[in-house]
Amino acid sequence: MDFDAAETKVQIRLTTRDPGLQISEEPNILLVQTSLTRHKLSTLVNELLHREENRIPFDILINGQFLRTSVDEFLTKNGINAETTLDVEYTRALVPPLNVTSFEHDDWVSAVDVLSPSSQMGAGVQSGQERILSASYDGLLRVWNTSGDVLATSEAPNNGGRVTSLKTAKWLSDKKMVAAGLDNTVRVYKYDDNARTITTALELFNHRWGIEDIAVHASSSRILSASSDTTISLFSSNAKENAVAPSNLLPNSTAASNKRQKLSKPDRMVPARGALATLSGHSSPVSSVVFKPDDATVAYSASHDHTLKTWDLPTSTCVDTRTTGHSLLSLCAIASRNLLATGTSARHITLIDPRASATQISVMTLRGHKNAVVSLDTDPSSEFSLVSGSHDGTAQIWDLRNVSAGGKVGEGMTGESVYTINRQGRSAEAVKSHGEGAKVFSVRWDRNVGIVSAGEDKRVQINRALGS
Amino acid sequence: MSVNPRKRKVVTRPAPEPSDSEGELADGLLEGILSHSEDEAADDSDADASSVIEGLSDEEQGDDDEDSDEEHIREEMQNLNTSDSSLRETKGISTHDMDMGTGADGDLDEDEHLKPNYTVTTDAHGNTRYLYREIDPVYDSDDSDVEATNTIGNIDLKYYDEYPHIGYDINGKKIMRPAKGEALDALLDSIDIPKGWTGLTDPQTGKPLNLSEEELDVLKRLTRNEVVEDGYDPYPDMVAYFSGKQEVMPLSAAPEPKRRFVPSKHESKRVMKIVKAIREGRIQPYRPPGEQDEEQDAFNFDVWADEKPRPDNTMHIPAPKLPPPGYEASYHPPPEYLPDKAEEQAWLDADEEDREKEFLPKNYDALRKVPGYETFVKERFERSLDLYLAPRIRRNRLNIDPESLLPKLPNPEDLKPFPTTCAALFRGQEGRVRCVSIDPQGIFVASGGDDGYIRIWELLTGRQVWNAKLSDEEAVDAVQWRPTKDASIVAAAAGEHVYLIVPFTLLSPDVEQASREVLDAGWGYAASKPSTTTNGEAPKQAPGKWSRPGTLLENKGVLVQIEVRSAVKIVNWHRRGDYFATVSPRGQSTAVAIHTVSKHLTQLPFRRLKGIAQTAQFHPSKAIFFVATRNTIRSYDLAKQELVKILQPGAKWISSIDVHPGGDNLIVGTYDKRLLWHDLDLSNKPYKTLRFHKEAIRAVRFHPAGLPLFADASDDGSLQIFHGNVVGDLMQNATIVPLKVLRGHKINSRLGVMHLDWHPREPWCVSAGADGTLRLWC
Repeated sequence: MDFDAAETKVQIRLTTRDPGLQISEEPNILLVQTSLTRHKLSTLVNELLHREENRIPFDILINGQFLRTSVDEFLTKNGINAETTLDVEYTRALVPPLNVTSFEHDDWVSAVDVLSPSSQMGAGVQSGQERILSASYDGLLRVWNTSGDVLATSEAPNNGGRVTSLKTAKWLSDKKMVAAGLDNTVRVYKYDDNARTITTALELFNHRWGIEDIAVHASSSRILSASSDTTISLFSSNAKENAVAPSNLLPNSTAASNKRQKLSKPDRMVPARGALATLSGHSSPVSSVVFKPDDATVAYSASHDHTLKTWDLPTSTCVDTRTTGHSLLSLCAIASRNLLATGTSARHITLIDPRASATQISVMTLRGHKNAVVSLDTDPSSEFSLVSGSHDGTAQIWDLRNVSAGGKVGEGMTGESVYTINRQGRSAEAVKSHGEGAKVFSVRWDRNVGIVSAGEDKRVQINRALGS
Repeated sequence: MSVNPRKRKVVTRPAPEPSDSEGELADGLLEGILSHSEDEAADDSDADASSVIEGLSDEEQGDDDEDSDEEHIREEMQNLNTSDSSLRETKGISTHDMDMGTGADGDLDEDEHLKPNYTVTTDAHGNTRYLYREIDPVYDSDDSDVEATNTIGNIDLKYYDEYPHIGYDINGKKIMRPAKGEALDALLDSIDIPKGWTGLTDPQTGKPLNLSEEELDVLKRLTRNEVVEDGYDPYPDMVAYFSGKQEVMPLSAAPEPKRRFVPSKHESKRVMKIVKAIREGRIQPYRPPGEQDEEQDAFNFDVWADEKPRPDNTMHIPAPKLPPPGYEASYHPPPEYLPDKAEEQAWLDADEEDREKEFLPKNYDALRKVPGYETFVKERFERSLDLYLAPRIRRNRLNIDPESLLPKLPNPEDLKPFPTTCAALFRGQEGRVRCVSIDPQGIFVASGGDDGYIRIWELLTGRQVWNAKLSDEEAVDAVQWRPTKDASIVAAAAGEHVYLIVPFTLLSPDVEQASREVLDAGWGYAASKPSTTTNGEAPKQAPGKWSRPGTLLENKGVLVQIEVRSAVKIVNWHRRGDYFATVSPRGQSTAVAIHTVSKHLTQLPFRRLKGIAQTAQFHPSKAIFFVATRNTIRSYDLAKQELVKILQPGAKWISSIDVHPGGDNLIVGTYDKRLLWHDLDLSNKPYKTLRFHKEAIRAVRFHPAGLPLFADASDDGSLQIFHGNVVGDLMQNATIVPLKVLRGHKINSRLGVMHLDWHPREPWCVSAGADGTLRLWC
């Protein structure tokens, strides 16, 4: 063995959390030069996995931090002794999701949802038959296939001359979807993929102001809607389960409204229903609501009144309230980590541990957006990744491992975004922080389709890592 | 100067007349002359060596009046020869001198041991005198240096007058009375000393050294520092060359001028003048020296007279020591120190301050050729200037951080949340946006502008969700949501019309119904119940005409139109939503109107208003109504119908006011660029004046829901956010901290931000710009 004084070496222990990528050879402690960079280590891992062709790019994490420089610089920066054995974790690298395609709309696109074999609702969908649902401010729902063709468009609802702008839409199953917007009504639509029609199946009335967000639970066919009137309503997608619609909220309830409705000559009557339960407790508009991923009887809601509430749905009571410092605008559950990510008006994402035993309100703060974060979704293929859509005109990808312990007291760890997706045709510099004309209103991350985002530029944009 | 009594005699001698002095005689000068002549006289009187004798008499023990020159010379000689010998030897010699005296009586040297130690002689008075012989100078034998102390103590010596002794020494022996006067003279006469005796031995011959008269004279001269040469006379007799004696060969053949014989008229004149002055007391012939010194001091002012050497400290810095002059400073320096032509020219060309040396070395053969210092006057002037302008005193620099003198303001970071960035841009309005209002739910924003439209926008996204064209010509000048949540009504003013609007497309049916009911309740009220409030006068014309605006507008949700007499600029709701006030600055007596929604009634609370009304506002909790004219703000109690307070902001032209939700504070924005904070409990003058804007302030607004924030909008295109914390404690004044300047609006024909409004709960605000945009700041 010849000793080269200039080359320091360090012992590393290679691990991974991906069961398909385990290194079979024993022992897995290696002595490597500290001058290695991420790419060299990635090559090393590929060789250990005996992948001569079809190499997988790996990201290297040392002590939970991404390696962006050489090992030597990393050790110097973090003050780690080169004589210790490093725990090196390798994971599939995030391939930059590039713009694949954009679907043009007539008006701002407020919400988007994906029906694919890997999605929650799309169990019966075949690969290649992915459907994208978009809800627009013109009040129409559109179903797209992945090649950018509009398969079906809903009719404008007859709501007595009210504004019809939709704010949110979700697939309920491969045949049903639910949408809601500024006209205070949750509508369940039927989608016929063969006839390519969308028909309104059910109108659900319980809100007095616009609906900001809906959450669906397919197996129990429950719908939760969050409204600006500070309440959350629980509906069922089956019309008969719901209560009778409250008469004062129906469009024909008042004389003026009834007159307008009759003037617009509806073709056929849509059944109208009320709510199973109304969850009230927030003091400001509720911006977002989600079901607990593994328990349909628990829901979380985020509101402009800075609180995140946990609801027990069978009893319609608020179980827990977490108060943060800012208005909460979006919510998403990270099932694997038992965390809730909420986007705030203060331009960051806060990860909140909703368990009652949690001592810290904010586990982690992800900073990097320049405007309100209004949409969040998790990476279906990784338990650490997160995508967020913001009014600053970007969607950003976050890795929960890419964090540092700094930041203010009480905010836990802080993280930075891993990748930023700009709107197609708009460079990062062109869009100001107020995101005029480029605001992202909704993002979805699907394993098959990629990252789907919709925004003020009247487009649904699909970003996918090429080659994956 | 101490005056010797001996010299006193001399003073009495008449002083020589200062005949040769020509100048006018000042007192001081005269005194000086007189005293000087005195000194000279004293010197002259020293011709005999009286002072030397005095000195000698100190050395001679006992013998007081020895006065001879010879004795003196002998003494000198002894001192000369034995200058290196000890005192004891001197003593020895002096005793030997005595021995010689006794030796004159008989030679008794042979057998001293057999004879007594003394011989008895008779002294000058014939008394017996014991003459003791020389003591063998063995060790311990000589106690002659012990002073013979008289042991009689404190007894008057007159008791010993009749005895030969005057006391007893330490051994009990009599101390004899010392000889004096004639006795001494007699003794000296009796002693025969050979001519030129010195008591010394010539070291060359071994014989006694005798000095001749001439040699003694030389020594005498030497001791007097006189010229030794014989025949030299330091004081020769004056030879009167010009005397009255007729010479055979005179130096000048000219006859004696007459003035030699005639007493000088001029001198006598001057003398008489002096005499007269002395008689009158103007000149004092003698003045005590103390006074004279004082006068001299006053005359020559000495700057450094009382300067004392001081130790170095911070307040006293001595002048830096100059380096000693080098060779080049010499008048005749070595040639290597002399500058050559080029150096000399360079020195001359250089600026005075840039020169390395202050002088140019010059070579002179001799010191006498060195000219006068040519820059003397200049340098003296500059030194004086330096002393005057740059005294070497260390200035006490105030070492105070100016920041620390400022009042302690909280860090803006600690006062979060407040709006910092533009979160949304609302575009779509044509022309200026003149007014903006956020609905009580905090979801929608209503705005009105020059294009005559009223538009409603979604707050967070900036989506326009509703609009209606109120007027073709007039701009929408004011828009205000009704501040209750049960119904959703917007009041808007365009020209002389005020509209009440229910934007029903945004409302659920029940809210729409509630809103309609609020507006419809008053139809027919004015007709059924004719105005009772103005019963005294015949109602010429109702101040406001409530009507339906027509189907086109009614289909959009504009349900009520109120026509007033002049263009309305301001609309402000009462907190309960039943009343609203409108201000139309052009309307003289109808400038301020209060409208009751439930009765469709318009009232004019002021019959005549002093000044031009600018804005009016209801108190947030009490029945008080604030009306701002151009210069003053008046608050009226609506229940009692009386004036409560007049505030004098000191502004030239008030643009807008807002009342703090607590009701005790008021902010005033003025067109003269100032933002004024009034504490209503404190004074009718502003508590704080904030002058941060470059242009007129158009709108001011407190945060309505408890957040300690207020903001102003200015024509310089910026909004400024302030922290304004009002505490319930009456002892504590409000804290006002400037937090943030929000820039973004473009200035359009010298108008920047026209209006602003706060979100009802969050620290967000919306501003209306003259550039046709609304901006949400959060």
